[in-house]
Amino acid sequence: MVVDNISNRKPQELEEQILAFIQRELLGPPDTVSRDDDLLSGELLDSVAVLRLAAFVQEEFRFSLGPSDFVVENFQNVAVLAEYVRSATAPAEPPSGDHR
Amino acid sequence: MPRLVHRLIDAAALRDPDSVAFRCAGASLSYQDLACRANGLARVLSQIGLKRRDRVAVLLSKSLEVPVAFYGVLASGGILVPIDPKSPAEQVARILRATGARHLVTEPRKGRLVRDALTGCPEVTHVIGLEPVPVSDAPPFRCLPWTTVLEEACDRPPTVPILELDPAYVLHTSGSTGIPKLIQHTHHSAMSFVEWAVAEYSLTSEDRLSNHSSHHTCFATFDYYAAAGAGATTVLLTPAAMMMPASLAALLEEERVSVWYSVPTALVQLSLRGALEARDLRSIRWVLFAGETFPEKHLRRITGQLPGARFSHVYGSTEVNVCTYYHLPEAGDLASPLPIGRACSTCETLVVDDELRPVPDGDTGELLVRGSTLMSGYWGDPERNRQVLVRRPAAGGFGDLYFRTGDRVRIQDDGNLSFVARADLQIKVRGFRVELEEVEAALLSLDEVEEAAAFAVPDDEGSCALRAAVVVRPRSASPPATQNEILAGLKKILPLHCVPADITILESLPRTPTGKVDRNALKARLTA
Repeated sequence: MVVDNISNRKPQELEEQILAFIQRELLGPPDTVSRDDDLLSGELLDSVAVLRLAAFVQEEFRFSLGPSDFVVENFQNVAVLAEYVRSATAPAEPPSGDHR
Repeated sequence: MPRLVHRLIDAAALRDPDSVAFRCAGASLSYQDLACRANGLARVLSQIGLKRRDRVAVLLSKSLEVPVAFYGVLASGGILVPIDPKSPAEQVARILRATGARHLVTEPRKGRLVRDALTGCPEVTHVIGLEPVPVSDAPPFRCLPWTTVLEEACDRPPTVPILELDPAYVLHTSGSTGIPKLIQHTHHSAMSFVEWAVAEYSLTSEDRLSNHSSHHTCFATFDYYAAAGAGATTVLLTPAAMMMPASLAALLEEERVSVWYSVPTALVQLSLRGALEARDLRSIRWVLFAGETFPEKHLRRITGQLPGARFSHVYGSTEVNVCTYYHLPEAGDLASPLPIGRACSTCETLVVDDELRPVPDGDTGELLVRGSTLMSGYWGDPERNRQVLVRRPAAGGFGDLYFRTGDRVRIQDDGNLSFVARADLQIKVRGFRVELEEVEAALLSLDEVEEAAAFAVPDDEGSCALRAAVVVRPRSASPPATQNEILAGLKKILPLHCVPADITILESLPRTPTGKVDRNALKARLTA
């Protein structure tokens, strides 16, 4: 079985996908966003846009966010969000080899 | 002694100088430091030529500088004009021009916005909070850094005669002509609200209030002034905390917040995504909400999640602040729909027909309010003042001013008022007032747009989503404008909450027989 393991993707790749979504769906020209921009300053995105972003990462990267995951540390900027997605999609157990 | 808003912090500092007035992002400002810094700002303003009743605009993100700016402007004898920090430059300029403000208090991170806005406002002479720039490329206004204010900080306020009936602040909402409504309150109307709120919710110096709303709204009069009236602490919530409900819940626990006042949306988010089961929020004793209908299922859940708190549904508008209130019963079933309650001790209410004659009890009519929390009027708008501030006989044969709320209500059998509908096209989006006509006017101001209609779609979290439909202008040289181009154009001229979540491009808009855009038909077509 081939599994596209998201946690094995390059961090840069995840960041680019998230950046592209924000740019395309949440901002539009002339606003731009980069990996270190504060997404929660209230000046770039409003609360509805942040919820859409959360919905996007769950769908795109096939994992689900519980209420306790909606914290500043996970959403402050694209760099930390990508890192969070990577860790949240990592397999719970390291592959043991027995069943593969 | 006149009751003046800025004396609230002097009194609190005198009682307990070290008690904390405001907290933000972990930092504290004591009542004594607040009073001294506010005096510092008042002195700087007077040194640069501020005269009594001059308007001073404040454009700041949420921070501990906000209360210093508010109380400093009031202590100087100036009229405070707080501007929504999310406003685009054009909106900032409109407010500055409309109020004739010559002084602006801001911060370095707003430098670019300020420069953009002030190109259209040559009458602004001084900006406090920006670093001075070299003479070679100096703007036509003088910049004074915030350190000037701190250097002038002292415990002696400037001696300026100020009357209780002098204007204290001018708040703004959206307006249908593109110019926001500027709502002027006096020290008297502000203090009337403060005294009512302190008494009704038994606020004390032990209380810790959470500030959700932007400081240009009337919600903030509770957090910034009523709190000081009790010598309580106000915890300013940053946008980050408000967007991340689980972080907000942690902060509420950590800060031991005891009184909350917000629109229902903020509570719905906290309830759905706050992970409240992991938190000890027993410190919360009052939850006040206003501004929109609270969906019953969400209200039921949050009252269950915060069993130690009393809930209070308050009703009003920026023009009259809170004028009615309804405390939810501590036990028993929720009334449905939730009433807006009875008049506060500051106000009297009357339900009237189109001719302003009282309707029989139980009939629906427009709500009129008279009382001490009423604004003195819309700044510079005599026509609108004539429309909404009407003189009519009060009980006992004397005449008084009544405010036409534009809201249709009825008196229930138990004496509580029940909200029926808005009389006009004003809607609420996440607690912000939005006039559909303003959004349409802005859309139509874009070159690409030929026809436009805006409408609201209720979301299932108690707020509205704003949507619009447009007919675009054919262009000979290039393909017609896209949704993104129109949205980008709109963002330059409207605050974010007035920008529709979605714009549909249509060939034509449905019209009523009289030729008006048929919003209901449009809504039915686009939401089917």
